[in-house]
Amino acid sequence: MNRLLLLIFLLMGTGTAAQQVQLEISHVLASQPMQLQTAVYTNAAGDTFNITLFKYYLSNFSLIAADGRKTALQPAWFLVSEDNAASKKILLPQCPEGEYTQLSFMIGVDSVLNFSGPQDGVLDPLHGMFWTWNSGYIMAKLEGTSPSSRLPNHMLQFHIGGYRAPHVTQRMVTLTLPSPLLTGPQYKPRVMLQADAMIWFNGDYKISFRQMAGFMTPGTPADRIADNYQHMFSVKKIVSQ
Amino acid sequence: MFRKATYILIAFCLWLWIIGRDRHVLTAHSPAVEYYQLKLPDSLPPPVYDFKNNPLTKQGIALGRRLFYDPKLSLDSSVSCGFCHQQFAAFGHFDHAVSHGVLGRTGNRSVPALFNLIWQKDFMWDGGVNHLDIQPLTPITDENEMGMDLGALIKRLQGNATYRKLFKEAYGTEEVTSQRLFKALSQFMVTMISFESKYDSVIRREPGVTFTAEEQGGYRTFTQKCASCHKPPFFTDYSIRNNGLPYLPSMNDVGRMRITNNTADYLKFKVPSLRNVLVSAPYMHDGRFFDIFQVFAMYNHGQQKGNTIDPLVKNGIPLTEKEKRQLYMFLNTLTDKKFLTNKELSELLITD
Repeated sequence: MNRLLLLIFLLMGTGTAAQQVQLEISHVLASQPMQLQTAVYTNAAGDTFNITLFKYYLSNFSLIAADGRKTALQPAWFLVSEDNAASKKILLPQCPEGEYTQLSFMIGVDSVLNFSGPQDGVLDPLHGMFWTWNSGYIMAKLEGTSPSSRLPNHMLQFHIGGYRAPHVTQRMVTLTLPSPLLTGPQYKPRVMLQADAMIWFNGDYKISFRQMAGFMTPGTPADRIADNYQHMFSVKKIVSQ
Repeated sequence: MFRKATYILIAFCLWLWIIGRDRHVLTAHSPAVEYYQLKLPDSLPPPVYDFKNNPLTKQGIALGRRLFYDPKLSLDSSVSCGFCHQQFAAFGHFDHAVSHGVLGRTGNRSVPALFNLIWQKDFMWDGGVNHLDIQPLTPITDENEMGMDLGALIKRLQGNATYRKLFKEAYGTEEVTSQRLFKALSQFMVTMISFESKYDSVIRREPGVTFTAEEQGGYRTFTQKCASCHKPPFFTDYSIRNNGLPYLPSMNDVGRMRITNNTADYLKFKVPSLRNVLVSAPYMHDGRFFDIFQVFAMYNHGQQKGNTIDPLVKNGIPLTEKEKRQLYMFLNTLTDKKFLTNKELSELLITD
């Protein structure tokens, strides 16, 4: 009898224990912090520009141990937006107790959710991250202005999406952690991530705003920009409390 | 002792079950709904639409019908879905080449007729929309159609007492969400089923119903010359093809290529159903033909044969005057008067 009760308590315990990892994301452009509207940046092509909007989806988080064993966390989707401080803090709940050396996640939304009808929460189309005329999520969005842009009002509009072959824009990111990440009831780790938006334009595929100041459909330039921003994340440090 | 343990175990299982149930947000509050069984002829292939994700209820359909006919879904409360999708035109837009929208704006494509949508995989003339439930997002938010911001629409509906009541009846709580809105619209639209034409009666060998000689002749021509794309029983194979319709520089509509960025899809558009075709003029993606005989003439001698023209029509479709007349007579048997006058689908006058 007592053993049965114990078993029940144990089961309840594993379901509710707060073994969380907190991710805190900051956005920069090369060495400068991201500041919407006011700050002026210069890309490798020499175009000056500012940023008015920067947001993207993250999903499919996994923790990887030193022996390579990968633990997929429960499915969750996050919409990170520069103008929303709360969105830059991501709480990963129910991380199994352990020691991990790598963190991996997807930039974007799983293909199946792109053709499964309207979703809710951060995937609700009212967040402006779903194309209406060509169904599918905008995985990442960067808007701003640049004197080099030939679009109306010199705008920059990069809406990166596409889930159907050959134009697939979800990208997996695997980050090696600077020190082991310990999870368990006694830990409350915080992982400080940085995303460098300059890589959108200065990665392997260079963008000059004179030639391309926007791209808003699935297509090869979107694929290449996704290849670029796949490398925008780095881990600054891990804080354990 | 053993009995006590059993009780605890049962209580625990019950608790697990309740916890598990709460995770399904849509069913968390189970409203007292009456489920609705769609009546479909037996001979049809299974629908593409997955009813498991949106089980039909009388309350859901009623909410969807009200939303469909409510001009409040548009920016200036002037245009409802039913404004362009008129029942007597098989939910197409009678006598309008291209769609009309708020503030006197016009779109650049013809309003498609709506029926038998549960067998359709993708939507719009270029197949760009991939799910029935997400389809209304396009006309609602398009600035040339209903021009409405989705967030503002949710707030507007949430502020309306009638909608709070109807959402509660359909979903158990008064909360208006875009997902609930879209699913309710689908609930109404999937009830637009059209299989009650004279053609259907003839095929089902209903007593006393036969084709006239002219209709029979038209059926023969149709089977020989049209049915590979306009395939029964839906009178479309739901494919996307270039039928040879000449490109209009003033419209500059490249069709499916806009969706795929693939030049092989240049000037390809969805094959529309021929059911109710004679009541749903004008024709083609840009509504350029107001008379079905203009369509016959296009296939007979008016095509533009570009690289992407479909192999099935690349040599045109020669039609004699007699064949055209008989084809017209046959197409007339595809008009489903019961569907066009079905009271359960008819317009609601909404004043609050």
